[in-house]
Amino acid sequence: MNRARRRRLLVPAAVAASIALALTGCNAANFGGGDDGGGDGATEEGPIKIGAVLDITGVGANLGVPEQNTLNMLADQLNEDGGINGREVELFIEDNQSTEDGAARATTQLIENEQVDLIIGASRTGPSLAMRPLVEAAQMPTISVAANAAIVDGSEWVFKTAQNDIVVLERILDDAESKGYTKIALARDATGFGEGIADIITELGAERGITLTATEAFEPSATDFTAQMTNLRAADADAVIIWGITPSAGLAQAAYVQIGVNKPVYQSHGVANAAFFEAAGPAAEGVLAPMGRLLVADQLEADDPQKEVIDQFIADYTEAYDAPPSSFAGHAYDAWKIGVAAIEEAGTDPEALRDAIEATSDFVGISGVFTMTPDNHSGLTADALIMAIAEGGRWNLYEE
Amino acid sequence: MTDFLQLTAAGLSQGSVYALLAVGLIATYTVRHVVNIAQGDFATLAGLGSISLVTAGLPLPVAILVALISVTLASVLIERLVIARVKNLTTLVSIILTLGVSTLLQAIMLLVWGAEARRLPPFPGNDLNLGGVSIRSQELWMLGALVIVGGGILLFYEKTRWGKALRASAEQPVAARIVGISPAVASVLAFAIAGFAGAAAGVVSSPIYLSIWSGGLLLGLKGFVAAVLGGLVSFRAAIVGALLLGVLESYVAGYVASGWKDAVAFFILIIVLIIRPAGLMLRPEAVRV
Repeated sequence: MNRARRRRLLVPAAVAASIALALTGCNAANFGGGDDGGGDGATEEGPIKIGAVLDITGVGANLGVPEQNTLNMLADQLNEDGGINGREVELFIEDNQSTEDGAARATTQLIENEQVDLIIGASRTGPSLAMRPLVEAAQMPTISVAANAAIVDGSEWVFKTAQNDIVVLERILDDAESKGYTKIALARDATGFGEGIADIITELGAERGITLTATEAFEPSATDFTAQMTNLRAADADAVIIWGITPSAGLAQAAYVQIGVNKPVYQSHGVANAAFFEAAGPAAEGVLAPMGRLLVADQLEADDPQKEVIDQFIADYTEAYDAPPSSFAGHAYDAWKIGVAAIEEAGTDPEALRDAIEATSDFVGISGVFTMTPDNHSGLTADALIMAIAEGGRWNLYEE
Repeated sequence: MTDFLQLTAAGLSQGSVYALLAVGLIATYTVRHVVNIAQGDFATLAGLGSISLVTAGLPLPVAILVALISVTLASVLIERLVIARVKNLTTLVSIILTLGVSTLLQAIMLLVWGAEARRLPPFPGNDLNLGGVSIRSQELWMLGALVIVGGGILLFYEKTRWGKALRASAEQPVAARIVGISPAVASVLAFAIAGFAGAAAGVVSSPIYLSIWSGGLLLGLKGFVAAVLGGLVSFRAAIVGALLLGVLESYVAGYVASGWKDAVAFFILIIVLIIRPAGLMLRPEAVRV
């Protein structure tokens, strides 16, 4: 684009922007950020704006609702304590209705209209992937709370706090190998969360002498799982992995037991909440799933480095909402705390904030101990996960 | 073979839920030419309502009964407050109106019960295993509900004076009025039947499929497809169509790909509308005098 052409485009754009600013009474200092160079001082006034895009309604509601609760609670706590460096924090939560286009719309809304300094979300992989190109283009520091590694692979501006799917599968396959299983069948979520799972199992399984013999998919909105489970029964594997979120993964579990496949089941960290037991009912009994420590906090060793943080969070959340938090609430907690710590240190200049998040080191959170690097925007290792077993209507620490 | 029978059993129980919704849709269509988009929301409303009542400590049968009655009343209320107020009620107007009602009901359910899916405790009974084909007792309840509620409505229309009067007022409204059948009463009765059938579908399916505020629209559409198979006037054809739809969905999910499951209904709808381009819905209009 040549200079004259660019000017032609810029002038009307600038006029339109000025009119928009005048009409809405916006703080002009928030506009443009550091582009003009040396304008940093101007952005350090007024409230700090943090946006969140969550799956509050739709198939991801079991994830998004506790995340929304957590962010509201933490924002209130922070403002009561005087905000960040004396500046109040304003929280903008948008519901993406568990859809990709909803997430994209909400992201644009937060960037264009609210001019937020940081975005948290989305709750699931699909919507998070839909947000990625937008926040990369807008150079907006973003912390997703979803699982699939594709969300942060090679990204410059996106981070995430949920444990990587690949680490979770390593945990599952290690356990399967130790029990001598050689054939695994998979029923996976048909959306982004389940994308690529079969390939990872094939790859990781090869090192462990485990083959994937059948793959079925299910929509997170599905209610009848007879077909998939009937096919899994015919696959005759040694064990089955059901990879999805609640409630669909719980309903799949119920159908699995009803159809009588009668093989051990591994589930993912997508069922790390009490809602799994509501959906699966008695069929939940005996299911193994790798997850963070939150749901088994009362069974942790006293010297566990995360115990204090987790106990405090459970106490605060339970007092505020009259119900214990889920792992997904924990992902939101981690995203908020990492983001706030980075703003405290670096302010709201996007570049500086991004670098501060990337420099997060040994941060003790709910989902694990985070150390981010330029190559690792997830920051968690396999140590973040414990193996849990469903027994007596709750998740318990599993002793191998 | 076992797998085939297993898929058939699952399809039949799912189809019985569609059948109850189709029966409700036909009840209002035959009397008022109303295509009730909110029909599926009656199901979720009854499911969520009975869950709350059980949580509040009521025994399951009582909770279900209260939910059935409340949703029936709600349906009548919608008829009195919305449908009856419209002077020139065409099918298209009814679709727009009830779409509004559906949106309103969903918003209320979202506010009252929250965004998460919830489950009603299963009804009493033991699961069956017939030669490797596993059938949940709840699935038998679903089929049973169709036999009792669907069959009851069928008998009511075909055998009782009231039912015949309802059909008369549907087919010959002016003549029916002349012989003393009140269109208002007929309309209220039709909506009561629709509300009851929808609520029954909701309470029997909730223990397996859970209830969620947004679930009604898709359920209602599946019921609508079944009702279209019945020409929107025949209860018998609609029930058979609904069971067929359920079984077909199950086969497609099992033998083709589960992602195609929900597409089956719309595929059938398109095929039917192409083969009968005059529109199955237009037929009753033509016989109107």
